[in-house]
Amino acid sequence: MTEPSTTAAATNILSTTTSLHSSTTTSSFNTLQHHLSAPNFRQADEETRRLLILLASEEKRGYVCFSEVQFIPETDLKVIDQAWRKHSNNKFGYSVQKNIWKKVDKDFTKLFLKLGWMKKLDTEIEQYNYRAFPNEFIWELDDQTPEGHLPLTNALRGTELFNCILRHPAFEGQQEQETGTGENGGVRDGTKTFGDKFFKPNYCL
Amino acid sequence: MASLVSSPFTLPASKADHLSSLSQKHFFLHSFLPKKTNSNPNSRPSLKVKCVVGNGLFTQTSPEVRRIVPENKNDLPTVKIVYVVLEAQYQSSLSSAVQSLNQNSSFASFEVVGYLVEELRDENTYKTFCNDLEDANIFIGSLIFVEELALKVKAAVEKERDRLDAVLVFPSMPEVMRLNKLGSFSMSQLGQSKSPFFQLFKRKKQGAGFADSMLKLVRTLPKVLKYLPSDKAQDARLYILSLQFWLGGSPDNLQNFLKMISGSYVPALKGTKVDYSDPVLFLDSGIWHPLAPCMYDDVKEYLNWYGTRRDVDEKLRGPDAPIIGLVLQRSHIVTGDESHYVAVIMELEARGAKVIPIFAGGLDFSGPVEKFLIDPVTKKPMVNSVVSLTGFALVGGPARQDHPRAVEALMKLDVPYIVALPLVFQTTEEWLNSTLGLHPIQVALQVALPELDGGMEPIVFAGRDPRTGKRRKSHALHKRVEQLCTRAIKWAELKRKSKTEKKLAITVFSFPPDKGNVGTAAYLNVFASIYSVLKDLQKDGYSVEGLPETAEALIEDVIHDKEAQFNSPNLNVAYKMSVREYQNLTPYAPALEENWGKPPGNLNSDGENLLVYGKQYGNVFIGVQPTFGYEGDPMRLLFSKSASPHHGFAAYYSFVEKIFKADAVLHFGTHGSLEFMPGKQVGMSDVCFPDSLIGNIPNVYYYAANNPSEATIAKRRSYANTISYLTPPAENAGLYKGLKQLSELISSYQSLKDSGRGQQIVNSIISTARQCNLDKDVKLPEEGEEISAKERDLVVGKVYSKIMEIESRLLPCGLHVIGEPPSAMEAVATLVNIAALDRPEDGVSSLPAILAESVGRNIEDVYRGSDKGILKDVELLRQITDASRGAISSFVKRTTNKKGQVVDVADKLTSILGFGINEPWIQHLSETKFYRADREKLRVLFEFLGECLKLVVADNELGSLKQALEGKYVEPGPGGDPIRNPKVLPTGKNIHALDPQAIPTTAALQSAKVVVDRLVERQKVDNGGKYPETIALVLWGTDNIKTYGESLAQVLWMIGVRPVADTLGRVNRVEPVSLEELGRPRIDVVVNCSGVFRDLFINQMNLLDRAVKMVAELDEPVEQNYVRKHALEQAKALGIEVREAATRVFSNASGSYSSNVNLAVENSTWNDEKQLQDMYLSRKSFAFDCDAPGAGMTEKRKVFEMALSTADATFQNLDSSEISLTDVSHYFDSDPTNLVQNLRKDGKKPSAYIADTTTANAQVRTLSETVRLDARTKLLNPKWYEGMMSSGYEGVREIEKRLTNTVGWSATSGQVDNWVYEEANSTFIQDENMLNRLMSTNPNSFRKLVQTFLEANGRGYWETSEENIDKLRQLYSEVEDKIEGIDR
Repeated sequence: MTEPSTTAAATNILSTTTSLHSSTTTSSFNTLQHHLSAPNFRQADEETRRLLILLASEEKRGYVCFSEVQFIPETDLKVIDQAWRKHSNNKFGYSVQKNIWKKVDKDFTKLFLKLGWMKKLDTEIEQYNYRAFPNEFIWELDDQTPEGHLPLTNALRGTELFNCILRHPAFEGQQEQETGTGENGGVRDGTKTFGDKFFKPNYCL
Repeated sequence: MASLVSSPFTLPASKADHLSSLSQKHFFLHSFLPKKTNSNPNSRPSLKVKCVVGNGLFTQTSPEVRRIVPENKNDLPTVKIVYVVLEAQYQSSLSSAVQSLNQNSSFASFEVVGYLVEELRDENTYKTFCNDLEDANIFIGSLIFVEELALKVKAAVEKERDRLDAVLVFPSMPEVMRLNKLGSFSMSQLGQSKSPFFQLFKRKKQGAGFADSMLKLVRTLPKVLKYLPSDKAQDARLYILSLQFWLGGSPDNLQNFLKMISGSYVPALKGTKVDYSDPVLFLDSGIWHPLAPCMYDDVKEYLNWYGTRRDVDEKLRGPDAPIIGLVLQRSHIVTGDESHYVAVIMELEARGAKVIPIFAGGLDFSGPVEKFLIDPVTKKPMVNSVVSLTGFALVGGPARQDHPRAVEALMKLDVPYIVALPLVFQTTEEWLNSTLGLHPIQVALQVALPELDGGMEPIVFAGRDPRTGKRRKSHALHKRVEQLCTRAIKWAELKRKSKTEKKLAITVFSFPPDKGNVGTAAYLNVFASIYSVLKDLQKDGYSVEGLPETAEALIEDVIHDKEAQFNSPNLNVAYKMSVREYQNLTPYAPALEENWGKPPGNLNSDGENLLVYGKQYGNVFIGVQPTFGYEGDPMRLLFSKSASPHHGFAAYYSFVEKIFKADAVLHFGTHGSLEFMPGKQVGMSDVCFPDSLIGNIPNVYYYAANNPSEATIAKRRSYANTISYLTPPAENAGLYKGLKQLSELISSYQSLKDSGRGQQIVNSIISTARQCNLDKDVKLPEEGEEISAKERDLVVGKVYSKIMEIESRLLPCGLHVIGEPPSAMEAVATLVNIAALDRPEDGVSSLPAILAESVGRNIEDVYRGSDKGILKDVELLRQITDASRGAISSFVKRTTNKKGQVVDVADKLTSILGFGINEPWIQHLSETKFYRADREKLRVLFEFLGECLKLVVADNELGSLKQALEGKYVEPGPGGDPIRNPKVLPTGKNIHALDPQAIPTTAALQSAKVVVDRLVERQKVDNGGKYPETIALVLWGTDNIKTYGESLAQVLWMIGVRPVADTLGRVNRVEPVSLEELGRPRIDVVVNCSGVFRDLFINQMNLLDRAVKMVAELDEPVEQNYVRKHALEQAKALGIEVREAATRVFSNASGSYSSNVNLAVENSTWNDEKQLQDMYLSRKSFAFDCDAPGAGMTEKRKVFEMALSTADATFQNLDSSEISLTDVSHYFDSDPTNLVQNLRKDGKKPSAYIADTTTANAQVRTLSETVRLDARTKLLNPKWYEGMMSSGYEGVREIEKRLTNTVGWSATSGQVDNWVYEEANSTFIQDENMLNRLMSTNPNSFRKLVQTFLEANGRGYWETSEENIDKLRQLYSEVEDKIEGIDR
């Protein structure tokens, strides 16, 4: 396997990050919008993961590495987040999660508890375990559903991925952003379509 | 092991703060008188133990979640596969292989059910397994190395083997391997056949080579076999291909594997052409990274790729990032069960560390470590630290380990080596729920064994989910991963940082947290040692600034006015931490509030801030570890719910980590409180206090070499890299006063006995012996009684033998100073004792044996004769002892320089050994009656002693510390008694215990038989010729480590079973010894395991429980089987099954240590003996049940009491030559003698025995004999107490401690003679001069001493004159005034 030179790799970044053609993007985000408005949060959650993998890497790995999150275009991440917020009365979405995260001093155990991703065990000492996917998660939006419960980002491979998502520039001063049109106008050049990409959703808690 | 269990810190009971009124900071004169307590001990809330759920086993998972039953719409032939594996990673891969087969295959439909080997423990699961096998076509097994379970698998599969179409077993125990069959290919001849294929299994001693030669075979054989025509070769080829498919474990490979096997061997598919692809082969070993396009076989190529990564910044790619090596199992990578690996890689990279993750497909990782982590050109490590994520020993995995090979590779690599582990036998939730923590089998395999390689920090970083399919994979435990990675980077930083910038926090203890105990550690002169360490570090380039001129000045700096402190130590405050700061720095602070309220609390606090005591010298901080907080208050400890460290304790470690920003903490000496804080026994979780406290600071810990058990706890619970130090050299106790007179009288008797003065001298001997209170030890004739010459010899012989026994006891003299090896002459007594033991394994005969032989005697006969008091044997033994000492002294003198330090042993030795005629020992012996001693044997022995001497005086303690601080690998070595096991030397090694599955050894069993036989004989003599029906005894952790399981073997021999080693030499099974062979009834036992034993040897508790239950169920007459007899009675009385009644293995609840009787006695906080006994019962009645091992320790007080009530004798072992009954409080802490008397229906006091196997001539003495011996050699021996007095302040405390421990023996056993107190009183109180010295040197300890005398009298243990008592009372108020005067 030959490796592209560093410069080639750098070029590659550009081509990757700008590879989503507007129409494809729209149609893909449409699927998410569709699930969210149904509402079918379970499917929307799957779709979100699929999108993240697609946006972050070209690898056939089936999951995103923390270091690849930087490649997810700000605008795309915002579109996803906005969609979640829009269809959940601002209860779901990365930016919602980020606010909670900041409130708990960026402690992931505390965050997971707030988000309802961990459950208390019946032991003498207070302890928590991860909830099992998918049955122990809540797939409806009601009063009981904890704020920020969805979309899920699993801790199967630790917290660095989630950490990078929450630190993504897309969520810097996120509150003011209203729509998915960022500085790039959400329009990109590129030829690849989603269908060309291999992925296996392997993303569960 | 000075304080084996004197750290009784944790107990899950309920909180009762109101009881704290019981705790008195100030003890009054009559504190021993009955006090009103606000609680009835019997009505206290019972200690809550978590109820067992499900089957009581460690794992509740069910194989049903792994069962795949095909829909089989097309009515295809069904192939049923049953598999058993150790490695959970195969499940998801197999499941997905079968699912895709069922979706796409047109020739068969597959049913599959998988079992994790641990699940077969459950009876129902095992039944299901057997049922499943009945209609299975194919059986697959892999890595079945737990003997119990291997035998279960064997039994079940054997039955079906002929009917099964194929049986495939991959590396496992030979028993299981033999089940293999593929057509004509079979392994049933394994181990017997001469064919080269089987030869590879035969070489027993080849360690992990087994798996590796198998791998080699896998690589080469198919190519060869392909061209062989015969069916046999074809079948063998398919087996090898199968192994390749299996080791290449991806779903694709497994799919093809199943196609191949079913197509070739399932009859229903005969004639169907089933196509399969060849196995996709992966590298056997290499480098893997989740983002890399391929696996690498070359580290340079890997790093090239790393350098081109576009997802990470220049900093990480560049040359300045720390580099962490990771060791991974290939099977996790190829089966796709690698999320937990990815988590660690991501966490490290996110924290700025570069990773080199290497893997191997076999079980030997030493090759890959050398190949990929060491630069082939410079021979320098490519990494700064290494983390193994496999959990396994570096060489051998679960099979045969080769620790020397591992150590060799790791020495070459020379970086810190951490072995973290994923949960294997438990799900995440089961682990979290368990108070034990990690499953004991995993502890044995993945904690104890890696420790022998020098592996550190057994952090559980990955868990498992109980459910089916893909989700059964390992998943990261995010906080654990974080802990692991920050620690790995911290260790790496030690390798990278310069000495000048490195910050070191030296932590000293104040344990017990009495006044004036700051800076105490077993056998160690702490401040002198610190001083010597700092001097050395300074010279080495560390920035140590403002160091005072002397060690004394250093103490003065840290503890102002150390001698005058009475109520509050006047420690130097290094830092005041505001509550807000404390809370910010200490995320777990809220968890401490349940016990200690809101910060700052009273301890280490000025009411507003938390105080950190200590002083900073440049980049070195010397700090005082806060006390546990409960010490003066054992009742509170008993009643408080979940104990926890107090805020001051937490603040100390927050300061060290986050304000001082230590690069490493150095805990100084044996031992502190951190590692005994509440939490799981092994495998800490996020809420375990030792883990939270130590945070991310690398922990280096100076630990006494003779205490491997507690050192192991420090390693496992506080992630310490332990560095052993030498205990002070021992001296012989010698004789004094009347005893010395006696010895002179005896010698004149020997020369004059036939001169007619014999009777006269014997009369003097008898009266002097009486004055010395020897009448309890030797039956003395009435004074004036005429006795025959023969009887006279016997009386004198017996007294003589007693005197010699006292004279030759070992006393440790003084305290050790790090960096100061003992002087030559100081090593003599140690060498004499080393020389006294036969070492057949080294071909070394003992010196006494050689000497005895030279005069035509057998040393064992001499010992026996001397024990009986045969005068000429006693005399001969004394001559042998003298000659031994002389010969060894003359040898040592020759290796000594002018200063008396041993130098250049090697050179001197060569010159000595070069000229036979000059051999100093020969010169010496030529002047004795032993001049004919065998020269060759002597030469061998002295060569061995020369090696030992070299090791005794070697000074590696400072060197190893510096290595640890420079981020190098510290060579591991066993802890233990240097006399028994000179491999303990030289000190300065990372102490480890032993492979728990290796004990008891055959040699230990031999020694155990001797002791048990002597014990039983002794008891018969004292008990009208009757065998004891039950013996209550104690198992200590250190004892069993030092003796390789002697006391464990004693228990087995009492009940008449023998351990059976499996084919890998591990002891996991026992079998009954026939009554004929035993030659006596099976004796029932009540086994009280120390908390440390429980922590280290839970599998052995399991083994014992199985043994007891097995014996109780033997169909034997009850008068020949007391275990059965009692179990039947108890079962009837309690209305339970015999098996349950046969519960004999007890200890504390998990996470709790000691009976606390010692604390109560030390603090005089007890009313009557009944209260102490209640404490004992409530703390110690937790049983281990081999039928529900997962339940951990369960309270079974009723059975405990009933079992104890049958005891005719109590029994303990002494484990080392330098520590005896009154040196430490834990021996009486675990003594149940008086308790048994109370429980027995006839109220009879059981006999109490102490075995002493520390010297060549093993002895079983009664407890009272041992107490007397101890009093004579220590408390009453001028050599001892003057030695103590010479160390000043501390010495008075030591004297007081002996007396307090003696009272402890009175309280628990009543086996202390009146004269012991009387003599002590005349030695320390009636002697005005002594009294004044004691009082002025340490008034506080002196007050306690006086109080203890009064207490002994008040509690009825000491009868004496009113005069004596009046004097003591008067003294008490005097010293009280003095102290008050000083205080105010």
